[in-house]
Amino acid sequence: MALIALILLPAIGGLVAFFVAGKGERERWVTIATFALMLVLLVGVVATGAEGRWYDKVSYPWVPSFGISLDFAIDGLSATMIALAAGLGIISVMASWSEIRTQSGLFHASLCWTVAATVGVFLSFDLLIFAFFWEAMLVPAFTLIAVWGHGDKEGAALKFLIFNAVAGFGLLAASFALAAMADHMTFSAFELAEMKLSTPVQVWMLLGFSLAFMVKLSVPPFHAWLPEAHTLAPTAGSILLAGLLLKTGAYGLFRFAPMLFPDGLAAVAPYGIALGAAGALYGGLVACGQNDAKRLVAYTSIAHMSIVLMGIAAGVHYALAGAAVEMIAHSFSASALFLLIGALYERTHTRDLRQLGGLQQTAPKFAAAFALFCSALLALPGTANFVGEALVIVGIFQVNWVFALLALSTLIVSVIYATRLLKGLVFGLPQPKPPLADMTWREYWPILVMGIGTLIVGLYPQSLLALLEPAIKAALIHTP
Amino acid sequence: MTAAQFAALSPLVVLAIAAVAAMMLVPLARLQIVQASAAAGLAVAAALVLLRIGAPAAPMGALFTDDGPARFGIVFACLVSLGALVFLRTGHPAKEAPSLLVLVAIGAATLAGAGHPATLFLGIEILSLSLIALFAFRLTRQGLEAAYKFLVMSGLASSALLLGIALIFAETGALDFAGWGGRGALTAFGTALLLAGLAFKFSLVPFHMWTPDAFEAAPASAATLAGVVSKSAVAIVILRLALTAHLPEPVWSQGLAALGGASVLIGNLLALRQPQLPRMLGYSTIAHSGYIALIIASGTPHAGEAVLFYLAIYAPAMLGALCVSAALGRAPTLPDLHGLMKRRPLEAVALSLSLLSLAGLPAAGGFIAKLFLLRVLIDGSLWVLVGIVVAGSSLGFFYYAKFFTAPFVGHTHDESEPLPQLDRGLLIVCIALIIIFGVAPAGLMNVVAATMAP
Repeated sequence: MALIALILLPAIGGLVAFFVAGKGERERWVTIATFALMLVLLVGVVATGAEGRWYDKVSYPWVPSFGISLDFAIDGLSATMIALAAGLGIISVMASWSEIRTQSGLFHASLCWTVAATVGVFLSFDLLIFAFFWEAMLVPAFTLIAVWGHGDKEGAALKFLIFNAVAGFGLLAASFALAAMADHMTFSAFELAEMKLSTPVQVWMLLGFSLAFMVKLSVPPFHAWLPEAHTLAPTAGSILLAGLLLKTGAYGLFRFAPMLFPDGLAAVAPYGIALGAAGALYGGLVACGQNDAKRLVAYTSIAHMSIVLMGIAAGVHYALAGAAVEMIAHSFSASALFLLIGALYERTHTRDLRQLGGLQQTAPKFAAAFALFCSALLALPGTANFVGEALVIVGIFQVNWVFALLALSTLIVSVIYATRLLKGLVFGLPQPKPPLADMTWREYWPILVMGIGTLIVGLYPQSLLALLEPAIKAALIHTP
Repeated sequence: MTAAQFAALSPLVVLAIAAVAAMMLVPLARLQIVQASAAAGLAVAAALVLLRIGAPAAPMGALFTDDGPARFGIVFACLVSLGALVFLRTGHPAKEAPSLLVLVAIGAATLAGAGHPATLFLGIEILSLSLIALFAFRLTRQGLEAAYKFLVMSGLASSALLLGIALIFAETGALDFAGWGGRGALTAFGTALLLAGLAFKFSLVPFHMWTPDAFEAAPASAATLAGVVSKSAVAIVILRLALTAHLPEPVWSQGLAALGGASVLIGNLLALRQPQLPRMLGYSTIAHSGYIALIIASGTPHAGEAVLFYLAIYAPAMLGALCVSAALGRAPTLPDLHGLMKRRPLEAVALSLSLLSLAGLPAAGGFIAKLFLLRVLIDGSLWVLVGIVVAGSSLGFFYYAKFFTAPFVGHTHDESEPLPQLDRGLLIVCIALIIIFGVAPAGLMNVVAATMAP
């Protein structure tokens, strides 16, 4: 029951926020309270969890004649991702406090519903329920971009919706095909994982699933929706997109590819790693050439998600652990950077690196925050990103040293774009004049939380790895 | 006539009485009374069918059938017509309209139970003639054009239908669906003509030309009757033909699949650039007919359930969208919808949710309908059709998405009158149904499974 409550809570919270909106800041507080309650509930579930891999596991029938049931289960990976969802939810409210002034009720409802659907994704082990939440999260996220974005927001939102909804058909078709191959109609991933499928069939099914996951991960060449969506979305939308929605792709791949198609994944692993390496290089190189700070960070997302793909495709213990850590680390760093750039944009109305600079003289808090997260972006040791990327590269060395060298070269590219961002914003002559106001406490404390998270994972990664270990063990396909 | 037979036919009798009563009341009573009598007839007819749930099918002879789909079709036609009656009042309070609306329901009910070409033809003609009158009701240029287009094309379709039936009869010598079969050239040609005639009523490409005009020019309630009531009755007839008649195979199934596939692609393509809400809905209804035709053409075991399920989910969405369209006055365009959320929150939410459902996105019932559709096609390993559905629905996202965000952005001035209570009630029912079907579809699934059970 607690797992269903985890999904229902933000769904209902969104409805309440929608209806209480009006005078004052009621909808904002309702939304924050909803996410805070979710965190409490999550801690409760984990603390009272049973022994073994799953803290809690439930199954209720949904459409019995189709063999669809609400199969929910939570392990360390799901719990971490849900905590991230709730945390980023609170941060999104903080980040949009002064930015969002119109239709505030619908905005917070969309925020809550996006989180509710992603929580559904992180909990579902029935493939059709998974697909249900997978597509359900697109609609509120689409609304966030289309209504409160900037510039050609509708075009960007439409691109996001079409790419992801169409890719969702791959997921649906493969799910149906899998269910048709089972001896009785079922969509439960636990039951379907027991099936012994031949490797070519597994590869085909994996390709169907991967279509959805790759588009959400935005690995090139499936990334075309991402730069616009990230750049034109409101700050909260960018935070959720980078911090949460991209992670659903990584999560799906991490969770279901090795579970359902171990042989298929092993067969296509070299291609997956190659695609990831190419994507990481491409994303990094394009990021280097951007003048729009938000666009730059959007392209670094492509690079970092490609590194996650490499880790999952490699399928050895180190690489999987690295991919899992990188998912969390990227959520912190990318969301924080989007928040910072959003706050800066509210003051200066520009994101052009050539028109900004000298924050260390005019706004030291901004400068410190940017310095920290740019170091995370280039995976400086001591940050969570370093742990993630280093583990992935070590893992890939065990599989294929050529790809490992390629992956290493992406680290060099990341130094270029991170320093470029740093130089354009923090150093140099103070621009624009007159000097801008430094961050307020409401802007600063989310940054503080994410900064502390980055450093804790970076300095003591065992804290996170212990939580993720059972999920990583379950996802192993290679054991060199 | 036995009691069981009378019970099976009683809904049609009640509807006929209601239609006559509504007509007789026109010179005597106020509009509200006329409408109330029509509404009472529709409600009683639906109730008469619902009371017989679980009763065994009455032996009806050749003309009429009393199976699950027929009962489903009658209840469906009555309830949707009742919904259309609610917003018939907004726009043009003509006193004869309720009677015509009940006539459409009679036609649909006859068609849903048709087990014989004579009933089939009778049903189609009652439907079409009443619809023509409803299309032309406003006597505007566009209204007359729509009615004229429909009249001419309907005549053509009826002739094709009749000739097709005659050719099949010439070779098989049978006039009941079960007796139809055979492999001769005459039957094959007859089947093609029969399909063309039905495809016109079902607005399948290339027989779809009348649909967008009718949606644009006719009052929204008439569009509902054409787009939902008559379409569902024709769908049930096509389904029954597919289940009982052994029509020559390459023509029937592949013809239906070809028409359906073309409708999915062309309907969605033509909808892409429509800035006008009713016209867009008209094109999207062509695409939805295509999806239903593909389900029937697949010939897989669950096709019957899938058709009824699809219809049940499609109805509240279309009803909700058309009701809002009627409330906003003549043919609202995309800019007219801007800022709707601020002015009229209920209408904005109902419209967005309806379009969400038609687009097949989750939390709305349309997603489950899409699942059913994909399942049926994948069961039959019809990968080409799956590809067509994917391409069509992807195109669908474009125009639905444009429309379902429009109420939440921008601002437009609007002086149309606030909705009456009854219309608001209808919208709330539509919203509730769309969400219930989307979140807890098991109930409806059981209903359609029980309906299709022999």
